[in-house]
Amino acid sequence: MNDAAASVLEDPQRRARVRRRGGELGLLALLCLALTVAGPWVFDTYLLNILIKALFFAVAAVTVDLLWGYTGYLTFGQSAFFGVGAYTAGLAFTHLGFSPGIALLSLLATLAIAAAVAALAGWLSFYRGASPFFATVISLVLPILLTQLALSGGTFTGSSSGLTGFETFDLSLEAWYVIAALLLSAVALAAWVVVRSDGGRLLAALRDNESRCAYLGIDTAALRIVVLVACGMVAGVAGFGYAAFSGVVAPELAGFVFGTELIIWVALGGRGTIWGPVVGTLAINVAASYLSGSMPFVWQLILGVAFIVVILLLPRGLLPLLLAPLRRRAAAAPLPGLAARPARPAAAGGPALHMRGVAKHFGSLKVLEGIDLDAAGGELLGLIGPNGAGKSTLMRCISDGAERSAGTVRLGGRDIGRGGPERCVRLGLGRKFQNANVFETLTVAESLRLAGTLHQRPSWLRRSPLLALPDYALEVLRTTGLDHKLGAVARDLSHGEQQALELAMVLALAPRVVLLDEPTAGLTKTERTQIGRVLLGLARTHGLCCLLVEHDLDFVAEISTRVVVLHQGRIVMQGSFEEVVASSLVREIYAGTAQAAVPQPAPSPLAGA
Amino acid sequence: MNLLLDVLSTAAMLYIVTAGLMMVFGVMKIVNFAHGAIITLGSYASFVVTRLGLDPWLGLPLALAVGAATGMAVEWLIVRPLYKRPLDAILATWGLGIVIGQAITIAFGREVQFVDSPVRGAVSFLGTEYSAYRLLLVPVALALCLALTALLNGTRFGVVTRAVIMNEDLAKGLGIHSERIRFATFSLGAGLGALAGALITPLSSVDPNMGLPWLISAFMLVMVSGHSMASLLLTCAIFGACQVLVSTYLSPVLGGVTIAVLAAVTLRIRPRGFAHE
Repeated sequence: MNDAAASVLEDPQRRARVRRRGGELGLLALLCLALTVAGPWVFDTYLLNILIKALFFAVAAVTVDLLWGYTGYLTFGQSAFFGVGAYTAGLAFTHLGFSPGIALLSLLATLAIAAAVAALAGWLSFYRGASPFFATVISLVLPILLTQLALSGGTFTGSSSGLTGFETFDLSLEAWYVIAALLLSAVALAAWVVVRSDGGRLLAALRDNESRCAYLGIDTAALRIVVLVACGMVAGVAGFGYAAFSGVVAPELAGFVFGTELIIWVALGGRGTIWGPVVGTLAINVAASYLSGSMPFVWQLILGVAFIVVILLLPRGLLPLLLAPLRRRAAAAPLPGLAARPARPAAAGGPALHMRGVAKHFGSLKVLEGIDLDAAGGELLGLIGPNGAGKSTLMRCISDGAERSAGTVRLGGRDIGRGGPERCVRLGLGRKFQNANVFETLTVAESLRLAGTLHQRPSWLRRSPLLALPDYALEVLRTTGLDHKLGAVARDLSHGEQQALELAMVLALAPRVVLLDEPTAGLTKTERTQIGRVLLGLARTHGLCCLLVEHDLDFVAEISTRVVVLHQGRIVMQGSFEEVVASSLVREIYAGTAQAAVPQPAPSPLAGA
Repeated sequence: MNLLLDVLSTAAMLYIVTAGLMMVFGVMKIVNFAHGAIITLGSYASFVVTRLGLDPWLGLPLALAVGAATGMAVEWLIVRPLYKRPLDAILATWGLGIVIGQAITIAFGREVQFVDSPVRGAVSFLGTEYSAYRLLLVPVALALCLALTALLNGTRFGVVTRAVIMNEDLAKGLGIHSERIRFATFSLGAGLGALAGALITPLSSVDPNMGLPWLISAFMLVMVSGHSMASLLLTCAIFGACQVLVSTYLSPVLGGVTIAVLAAVTLRIRPRGFAHE
């Protein structure tokens, strides 16, 4: 495998791609530097004034883009962090006087306060089961709350007129332009690098399919909070710079109207592109400075209408439209080479899966009751039963600690408690859903790397040239031909390929227990045979414990080592396929007469039903 | 006593404003951020009536009509095309709110205005002198609650609406025109929003951005209360009481954000709100 890895690193095509992307970064940095240096000579005083403010706004807009365009969190509240920075500077310089030491301390305070506010807002907005819409409403509350605090601060915060006339840095307009432009360049370039890194793909994955992220063992709530804290701190620095430059701090800087304007600039420029929001913010602010004087209300009206039209017809904004002719020349991401990594050693003692007394109630309706089930590594359990028997609910109870109403579930000997999917995955679970549950906009390689997040922390700066997977995951890729489609976007794959990709992602977790919900549904005959072989290999060769829900009884007969029959929320029988097929009880269940008969010799759980 | 009446009338105001949003968001799960602007439109409808020197009562039907008509246009132009992109629907309706706000500013100016109240003066209630109009809102809110509950639970329209909410595909399979139901509910909700705007204006002033604070409180209340009209009434009473208490004993400025903050914390601790025990 090392040879393969080495040959990948020397692949000339790959190296050319890497070089071209490196060249892009250099080119962009050069462009930023040129604009920064040239600005003071090119623009007049009026325009410089406008531009400096717009540059600080653009920094905040980039953070909105990261949160909304990349992670899918629509926030009206980035203005709050901008306001935190502005007020920290204003309050410090007004009440403590200005000195370089105070400036530095207040900048540190800005970072700390913005981080604390972001952490609190994040805790309120992101938790298991929170709707994205709820997070958006919280993001509206935050600026309103801060504005009210500023308004009720009396002379300390200057109330509605804010703080003015405080002493600040004694710098020329040109110097301020260079500072603001350098700050924006640094933030935008850093953001550009991050969103292209392996870590940046994690943000897109969060936007595409948060639940799949959780089932890959990623703590999505914590990740979202961390991203919000980082973005809040950057927006806070921008606000600090704005206040230090303008010498004016007003409640509007923290207000939701400004938060909305940030959204509009990002939307018009192009969400999900770092440069769109930068260009959008600068262009709209400059245009506004000329137009809003002559026609204040009409300008707002035009902006509002343009915003609606863009959202309705051009959801990706204007920049991608303008750049469309150039797009083809942009370098595609270099593809990583595949390599094997050792899978997790087999479980040390204890059954892979252990369930005792698991039950699930919806009010008085009992969907599952008294489920005792043990399964060891190397077993292939077929879970069968008529519709409504509770098979899917049983799967959910194994993969999410919050689902069951009573009982215990242990994975590899460890209790899952009330932990969410990410905890179950960390304990060795992998779950493959019935409908292909993949990341629509990510490529095969990116999806597989995400699936390995638990084993290898993704870099936030670059793309790793190697993609290391357990050998059984590689086998799935080879069997299905996906190893030749690493650069394909998941959305464009066929149904069978998407299913294979999801299975490979689940296997990339190197799980001990694999749950599969109807793995053969909708597959062609060849694909069905392939997956059967893969599953047999997983259990026999690699000692994984596989639990599958399946309606295709022939398939169950071919591969399962044990069959578990579920009926009306109870396990009514376990045994080999032959035993189960021979049982009169099972025949009655499937023929629909079980309720009338009192089954023998099984202890009669159905008698009372 | 005064405090109690404050609580009751505040809860009534909250309920009246929130009921329209409940139809649209709580029941149909459509997020309409232009609801605040529609409330403002209703207020300006009653302002126009005052300006023309007509009977202040005429403002109510006018507001209902204006709101319902706006709702129809919004549903058709913005909500329907974005039905599969809910976050974009938030943005587009929000943009529409800006447009309506600016249009009002151009038409009426941005300054604060006042309207005539249809009922003037104070009444004596259990020994306390209290604004008659404020007090009148309490029975109005109760009547609204009864009417909407009856509409949702007792009529064919209500049954069909609930069928669409529970399982739209199945409802379609049964021959229900789910698009028509959404259209009707949305228009009704918008009409109720505008009506609410007209009802509360005699107590507050009118300005182009007046709807916004109401919008946020209303969204929070609907999220906390779940989807029944009666539990919404209870939620409005509890949170309204908190708002009045904070405003009275701490500061009116903080009172303005009480509902939003309390509701956010409530939802964090009990994500499903009050309605689902």
